[in-house]
Amino acid sequence: MLDYVTSYLHSNVTPGQAGNWLWSLVYILIIFAGVSGIVIVMNWGERKALAHMQVRLGPMRVGPHGLMQPIADAIKLLTKEDIMPSEADKPIFWMAPVWVVMIAFSVFIVVPFGPTHAVTDMNIGILFMLGVSSLGVLGVVMAGWASNSHFPLMGALRSSAQMVSYEIAMGLAVVSAVVMTSFTGLGAYGIGDASASGTLSMIGIVQAQAQQHVWFVFKFFPVGLVAFFIFAVAMIAETNRAPFDLPEAESELVAGFHTEYSGLRWSLFMLGEYAAMVAVSSIAITLWLGGWLRPFPSVHGPAINIPFFWEHPELGVVDFVFSFAPAMVLFVLAFFCFFNAARMPKHPLLKIQTMGLYAFGLVLGGVGLILLAPPVRDRIQDIFWFVFKIACFMYMYIWYRATWPRYRFDQLMKVGWKVLLPLGLGVLLMTGIIGLSPEILAWLKGVV
Amino acid sequence: MSIAPLLNKVFMVDLIKGLKVTFKYQNPNQVYTEQYPLERPAIAERYRGLPRLNVNPDTGETLCIACNLCATACPEHLIVVQSERNPLTKRKEMTSFSYDVSRCMFCGLCVEACSTDCLELSQDYEFALYSRDGLVFDRERLERGPEPTVYTR
Repeated sequence: MLDYVTSYLHSNVTPGQAGNWLWSLVYILIIFAGVSGIVIVMNWGERKALAHMQVRLGPMRVGPHGLMQPIADAIKLLTKEDIMPSEADKPIFWMAPVWVVMIAFSVFIVVPFGPTHAVTDMNIGILFMLGVSSLGVLGVVMAGWASNSHFPLMGALRSSAQMVSYEIAMGLAVVSAVVMTSFTGLGAYGIGDASASGTLSMIGIVQAQAQQHVWFVFKFFPVGLVAFFIFAVAMIAETNRAPFDLPEAESELVAGFHTEYSGLRWSLFMLGEYAAMVAVSSIAITLWLGGWLRPFPSVHGPAINIPFFWEHPELGVVDFVFSFAPAMVLFVLAFFCFFNAARMPKHPLLKIQTMGLYAFGLVLGGVGLILLAPPVRDRIQDIFWFVFKIACFMYMYIWYRATWPRYRFDQLMKVGWKVLLPLGLGVLLMTGIIGLSPEILAWLKGVV
Repeated sequence: MSIAPLLNKVFMVDLIKGLKVTFKYQNPNQVYTEQYPLERPAIAERYRGLPRLNVNPDTGETLCIACNLCATACPEHLIVVQSERNPLTKRKEMTSFSYDVSRCMFCGLCVEACSTDCLELSQDYEFALYSRDGLVFDRERLERGPEPTVYTR
């Protein structure tokens, strides 16, 4: 038994590939907890960032700067009366939120947080992600249908139409990125020394970017960038976020497909929505932004060696500097905590809150110090960069929501079918032409 | 379509401008709201809030001379002044004063009419009460003046 547990620690693959069910389970639990943690942070962060962009303060009363607000929200939602409409289709009404959450979380099976930090690596990874994540629309339609009410049905219809039309542009952009893995980079203006072998595996795609010494956003510039842009737009539409949040347009449809839901079921929908946002962001990160790779992954600089602190003969000074990034980010967060605690109004009622904020800053700083220790620092790098990129995407989601007004439905369809779809086809064509340009030139020479 | 608007549209210049605006407003110094029970808003000087009867700060005696001008001026007839003549000084003295805030429209005509700066509309804006009875202010309440709510948690 003990051998079974420890045997995986010496292998250099994901637990799924090693066939180790115990460590797979551990990874699943860690990822489930981690994604739920991101959702909780996002709950607070969205309300706070949105409020500041709208010149408000946002939650301030529950904990310092409203830091305990997600907990208060969770308690409120869990203790709320669970209402089911008497005319509702009960089994389907019950299943819809469960389905949404299940789908949103099951795509994380193949998300690579590091070269070995995924539950498993499938050779059809990206196909699996697209396929499973597009099943989420079924939950939305189920909710709209089972509610037996007009607004949810309208919301569900809009949602399905929107998701189906943006899936196509999204797929074309993804195919362009997958095609890029099969070009050595020696196309029109690429660099690198990889052997040409296309792959659909999520880990394989990131490794291809590492071998070709380029993130796919910058490959065949600007083709990769345009593909990434198409995906970025389609991904917002796919997760029903502003400015494409027509399914839950509160000024038109009350709350869209989850109008009739309350309490725990409603919170499951929210959990599913935010988890889906993390999931599609991680697709974009894996395909275009180099997954777990740090910026400039192939620049190492001159080699340095510091005993007991940096003993990597194959890595250079640039790697050394970048290895401080996780700790630095936490130190910056801790500094913000201290700064805000210091400028908190001096009021006897705010004494506990101020102390709490200082304590939170100390916790963040302490975690930063732990991340500075050499063994932790080496192991945390890939996970940190992946999560950091997810955080950037989450911030962009909030930023878009605070800035842009909602599209009209015909405008939404126009953007999807008349702009993104032709653009996606063009990008796919250009990727092929640029990637095969040496062969095409050789063939032309032969003809002429 | 001419070339400049087309490029504007393709590179989404307007959308990016919008993003810039919202990003700038994230500065905490831009926050316009206040945390009400802790920070109280600054009320304009000419704001007409709950009424008050002023007393002479030196002697603590009321400034009201029971002339009944305020009650006459009031379009809603919500002020009732009762008085009796003091046999010693031969002066009218106010015995009770009632002001029904629930009917008041804060026009300020009573304040205009008052000849001794006694009746005044203060800047107190916290009108909420649990019953309507509390809105008929008697002399005691009027002389106590504004009572800002104190929050303890």
